[in-house]
Amino acid sequence: MRARLAPALTLVAVVVAWELLVDGFRVPEYLLPAPSGIAHALALEWRMLAFHTWVTLYEILSGFALSIAVGVPLAMLIVASPPFERSVYPLLVASQSVPKIAIAPLLIFWAGIGIFPKVLVAFAIAFFPIVIDTVAGLRAVEPEMLHLARSMGAGNAKIFRKIRFPSALPHIFAGVKVAVTLAVVGAVVGEFIQADQGLGYVLQQATAVLNTRLGFAAIFILALIGIALFVAVELLEHWLTPWSAARRSELAAATP
Amino acid sequence: MARVNLVEVRDVARRFRTPAGDVHALADVSFDVREGEFVSIVGPSGCGKSTLVMLIAGLLMPTAGRVVVAGAAVDRPQTRLGIVFQSPVLLAWRTALDNVLLQCEMRGRVSEAQRGRARDLLARVGLGGFEGRYPHELSGGMRQRVSLCRALIHDPPLLLMDEPFGALDALTRDQLTLDLERLRARAGTTVVFITHSITEAVFLSDRVLVMTPRPGRIDEIVEVDLPRPRRLAMREDPRFATYCRRINDRFMAHGVLKEGT
Repeated sequence: MRARLAPALTLVAVVVAWELLVDGFRVPEYLLPAPSGIAHALALEWRMLAFHTWVTLYEILSGFALSIAVGVPLAMLIVASPPFERSVYPLLVASQSVPKIAIAPLLIFWAGIGIFPKVLVAFAIAFFPIVIDTVAGLRAVEPEMLHLARSMGAGNAKIFRKIRFPSALPHIFAGVKVAVTLAVVGAVVGEFIQADQGLGYVLQQATAVLNTRLGFAAIFILALIGIALFVAVELLEHWLTPWSAARRSELAAATP
Repeated sequence: MARVNLVEVRDVARRFRTPAGDVHALADVSFDVREGEFVSIVGPSGCGKSTLVMLIAGLLMPTAGRVVVAGAAVDRPQTRLGIVFQSPVLLAWRTALDNVLLQCEMRGRVSEAQRGRARDLLARVGLGGFEGRYPHELSGGMRQRVSLCRALIHDPPLLLMDEPFGALDALTRDQLTLDLERLRARAGTTVVFITHSITEAVFLSDRVLVMTPRPGRIDEIVEVDLPRPRRLAMREDPRFATYCRRINDRFMAHGVLKEGT
């Protein structure tokens, strides 16, 4: 309880201080609107914002889903096939030194207009941590466990299903949690480059005409989306891997 | 009773390639384990004891020589055996009962009879009432008991144990040693037991194989002629001390143990 109360109090304090400072120093609204101003913009424009929120959320979720659908099987292939690993994995890792945001304009250029190119950017940014963590997870099985499984006469498919995959789940979730926040970044970056809808588009349009209130309103919604998705993934993790959470809290209790 | 050889190890050598050059883990090892016999293998760290277990289990192939189990040459992972490692290696998302039943699940469908047998085994090692607990809710000794039950649930003719009690405290160790003695006496399972504890080896075994430092060879075989079931009080028996001293002397002779002058 106290763990949740403390950050909530800090947040309230920051919002109050922000309101008072903007008010006290008479900061022009086009530079920095007060929280009350942002709330006002949200209330006034909620219909329009809801539409763009839906567009961006759709892009984020599609890109995120695609990154799981591609990332996890790719990691499985890397672990299952040493030749594939040798020929692909180093390149995959090296390719990550290319900033994704730099190639985003090209992706948009190639994929055209509409929602799909933004999904592609979100996917391109989000899928890598899933691959890395899934590979690490699938490899993290104790060798003794695999020896035991062999002595039980189990084949590779059964070992994967009963041992490797479940024991990789905590690692996979670590990657998925990073991926879900990156998917938000990807969708917004995609919209910055070229879009006629979505929160990134709203943000750009609003700041272009010094409607900073509306810009902040869009940022506020993006933050909410990011937090909501992260919490959703965490809940799913607790539900699917309760043993992992229990072990973590046990470790936390052991360290003073 | 007819004493047929269940395990035959003949002129076995095993070499490992490492970046620093070849390591000869085992050189020219031969011994037999008879049906129903309890054989311990003691030796200093790195003498290839664990490698022997892997070779008998068919999880590793010898560089030279051959291993025969139940009359058939070992050329693939053996399935008519149970293995207990030093670490319990339980699956964190399975209860104690389901960890035991993994053995059956990997081999096919779990039957109601197997389920009952698993409960029965757990109860016999003092884990009655703990079937539904997860590994993180069990103590180290309890986890190792679950691991032992998993190795015995399919009633294997052969049980391989690689320093199974090495990570436990002395008291838990004693209890598990007694549990093992009891369970095994009932089932008549043949056991190959790896340990670096001389007293543990003498206490449990019919024969103790003493190994030399790397590359490991069989240095001496000590027949332990003490009545069964073994009881903790036997450790005070003068014969017990004599057996331990004999093994100790071998270790001293090879410089595994040194006394100050």
